[in-house]
Amino acid sequence: MANEALKQEIQSALRNTTLSRTLGKFCETYPEKRLKSYAGVNFEETRDSIREVKGYAAEHIDEMIEKFTKNCTARGGHVFHATSTEEAMEYVRNLVREKGVKTIVKSKSMASEELHMNKVLGDDGVLVQETDLGEFIIALEGNTPVHMVMPALHLNKEQVADLFTDYTKEKNEPIIAEEVKTARKVMREKFTHADMGVSGANVAVAETGTVFTMTNEGNGRMVGTLPKIHLYVFGIEKFVNSLSDARYIFKALPRNGTGQRLTTYLSLYTGATEVCLDKDTDEKGPKEFYCVILDDPGRREILADEDFREVYDCIRCGACLDVCPAFALLGGHVYGSKVYTGGIGTILSHFLVSEERAEQIQNICLQCGRCKEVCGGGLHIPEMIMKLRERSTEKHQNPTYKFALDAVSDRKLFHSMLRIASIAQPAFMKPGQPMMRHLPMFLSGLSEGRSLPKIAQVPFRDIFPTIPQNVENPKGKIAIFTGCLLDFVYVDTATAIIKDLNSIGYVVDMPMGQSCCGAPATYMGDRKNATVTAKLNVDAMSAENYDYIVSACPTCTHQLREYQEFLKDDPEYYEKAKALGEKAYDFCKLFHMLGGLSDEGDGKEMNITYHDSCHLKRSMGVYEEQRELLTHTKGVHLTEMKESDVCCGFGGTYSIKFPEVATPILAKKIEHIKETGADTVAVDCPGCMMQISGGLDARGLDVDVKHTAVIIAEKRGLM
Amino acid sequence: MGAADVMYERFDKNLQAVNGNSWLATVPEAADIIVNAFKENGIPDTCLCETPLLKEMGLKKALEDAGITVYTDHIRLHSETAKGGICETQCGIADLGSVLQLGDDVDARLVAGMSEYYIGIVRLSTIVDDYDAMFDQLCAMEELPTFVGFITGPSRTADIECVSTVGVHGPLKLSILVVADV
Ligand code: SF4
Ligand code: SF4
Repeated sequence: MANEALKQEIQSALRNTTLSRTLGKFCETYPEKRLKSYAGVNFEETRDSIREVKGYAAEHIDEMIEKFTKNCTARGGHVFHATSTEEAMEYVRNLVREKGVKTIVKSKSMASEELHMNKVLGDDGVLVQETDLGEFIIALEGNTPVHMVMPALHLNKEQVADLFTDYTKEKNEPIIAEEVKTARKVMREKFTHADMGVSGANVAVAETGTVFTMTNEGNGRMVGTLPKIHLYVFGIEKFVNSLSDARYIFKALPRNGTGQRLTTYLSLYTGATEVCLDKDTDEKGPKEFYCVILDDPGRREILADEDFREVYDCIRCGACLDVCPAFALLGGHVYGSKVYTGGIGTILSHFLVSEERAEQIQNICLQCGRCKEVCGGGLHIPEMIMKLRERSTEKHQNPTYKFALDAVSDRKLFHSMLRIASIAQPAFMKPGQPMMRHLPMFLSGLSEGRSLPKIAQVPFRDIFPTIPQNVENPKGKIAIFTGCLLDFVYVDTATAIIKDLNSIGYVVDMPMGQSCCGAPATYMGDRKNATVTAKLNVDAMSAENYDYIVSACPTCTHQLREYQEFLKDDPEYYEKAKALGEKAYDFCKLFHMLGGLSDEGDGKEMNITYHDSCHLKRSMGVYEEQRELLTHTKGVHLTEMKESDVCCGFGGTYSIKFPEVATPILAKKIEHIKETGADTVAVDCPGCMMQISGGLDARGLDVDVKHTAVIIAEKRGLM
Repeated sequence: MGAADVMYERFDKNLQAVNGNSWLATVPEAADIIVNAFKENGIPDTCLCETPLLKEMGLKKALEDAGITVYTDHIRLHSETAKGGICETQCGIADLGSVLQLGDDVDARLVAGMSEYYIGIVRLSTIVDDYDAMFDQLCAMEELPTFVGFITGPSRTADIECVSTVGVHGPLKLSILVVADV
């Protein structure tokens, strides 16, 4: 699919006001609701247990299939092991034909959607009825789910009423409670007359041959209780070994999915349960019970791939969608797959649906890491999306990006480009606006909805030697890694770091051979250039000569710590990279650690709010230290903003590719800042600083954005 | 308060949190409570799955005396139209306000799933502390029944505009009568 088509879908999603209202509201209230539901249950422990039990099943997958088949069969079930979606569908089709099935009621089954079951059977003349309310609504609309757990979020009650009116040929009022009643009435008929029920499994237990289905509406129970034939379709990733193993999944699934401690119904079927065979004679007997295990090549590919094996641990709770800033804005349709959406959807689509589509949508991810924090299976979603990017970049890289990234990894060329830009920039600026349009790479294409900072006339590397450092009896020596933004844009922040560290007895050095940290290349999936840069900086920083390496950009710090991963196949560099990674700290963490906490301050009133950088909070777990440093400073008052740790939309090179997504994310951040009434936004990341100050500036708001290092230096009279 | 009362209080509180309600009653008290609940909610007819406990309560007769039609057979047929549903459930979870159906009996499953107003009956002595205790109990069974179903409150949905609404395909109202047997 062309990028343009994706862009259009993004625009159309952004225009859907119901989607943005409902999804926006849901995503805003979700984190608290989720957290509340975990009262008394340790999420991390539960998640680790899930990883353990799913990991075991993944490693013993053939054994799981065999055991389940044996045990389910022993209890009167029939199990079919399908090695492709086609084979699975063929089996279902034959079964339906053989049994003379005319009508089917279905409760949610994602695997059956992979088979396109409704379409295939529909073409054969079988009536397949989705019974989950949301699924029913989108089936009437002829659409695909917008969310894994809440498929019809994009429609409002008026639209639902119209769909119901069309369907029932009776006027339906746009009143939700009434609409729910209509669904009940319509569906009752279907349930009581259906020849066959089709269910999806949340979990399948090998040792007992049991399948689990969780629902709130009760449709799952109807599907499993009324028809005489009952068919389960599920993928191999649903297996766990024992009944006890299954418990962990149902501890996390409802809490993560809807913030419930348990859904209304949790049903376990072990073999052929009793059904009523004839309602007039009241004759009873065991139902015909079938299980189709979907074991297609895409699933095997996931299991065999070291980088993606953990996808198996996904419990399909949808939590990753609910916290994703891009998803909150766009909903699931832009992810293109009929089945899977959001960050995890990108990965699943790659293996199970369409590689081509996945290649486009990988780029929607901001790499903010929020999904990883809540994931029920502990999946490293952003890292896996990066891997996908890497793989697709290996295949075909956009020539413009390649040129730019090649340039960035050549320090001399890149730095001279930046120097030229600092001289040439007035030519590119709109009159009266400090806006830059044509900076190389990560500074280009970022103009919508915000202004950009000027490139400094004198880069920090030229200023550094002129800064006096009078430290008596220094406690140690620290090397500063500035990264591009501190070196060429925010030189004051870099200066503040020197002053702050000097004030607590440390001398700072700036190794001049350093260059861009390599994050732009990494985030664009260009591993080659990222590795070149890693080597260059490992050499340049000579970590062995310093006690610590300080950076004031969490993306850089994170990158410095990751170098060892890029260089793991090069023993000589690996050791050096490891040493560098171990000494690398973000400013606020290091300053706090080295005794920088103090009550000093000029006492002048300063009302601040704080924005957490994604990398600092989630990759490095630093969110208390800077708050402590700031609130101890005399005169500083902190008012927390709403969703302080939600991405500001900068996301490295993100805004180049998706300004249409980044802009509204930024707009929301600005709103939250405004609500606090703060005069200053404190940040610890120059990328966030650029993004947020640009957004404030473009709206003419008189709010400063300052790095924690600068606030400390100013308030303590150090600069 | 004794341990059993504490257990019941927890069960009741957690069930209320998911829009259900419960009563604690002795066997002789049970029938009146259920008849009243159906009367108050305008339930004209009900399916009833008889068990020794329910017989001991004299439920069928009490309901019929109150003018409520009671079906104890052909449940599959009558559950399509009967507004009420009553059956015994095998155990419960205090921490969640859940009751569990264990066993093969299709009638009990129909009654609990299809009625508009469902009343489940559970013995206090079978209510366990929490979810883990229930799983431990299930895991210790020599053979798992063909059906095990957790029921936690009336059916619900938030599929339209994320507005939580009670009563979709399953019961619109759910009450649990807890038999004070300890
Ligand atoms: S890293 Fe952020 S943007 Fe990417 S999928 Fe996760 S939550 Fe969404
Ligand atoms: S990736 Fe994690 S959070 Fe997302 S659906 Fe799967 S288990 Fe849930």
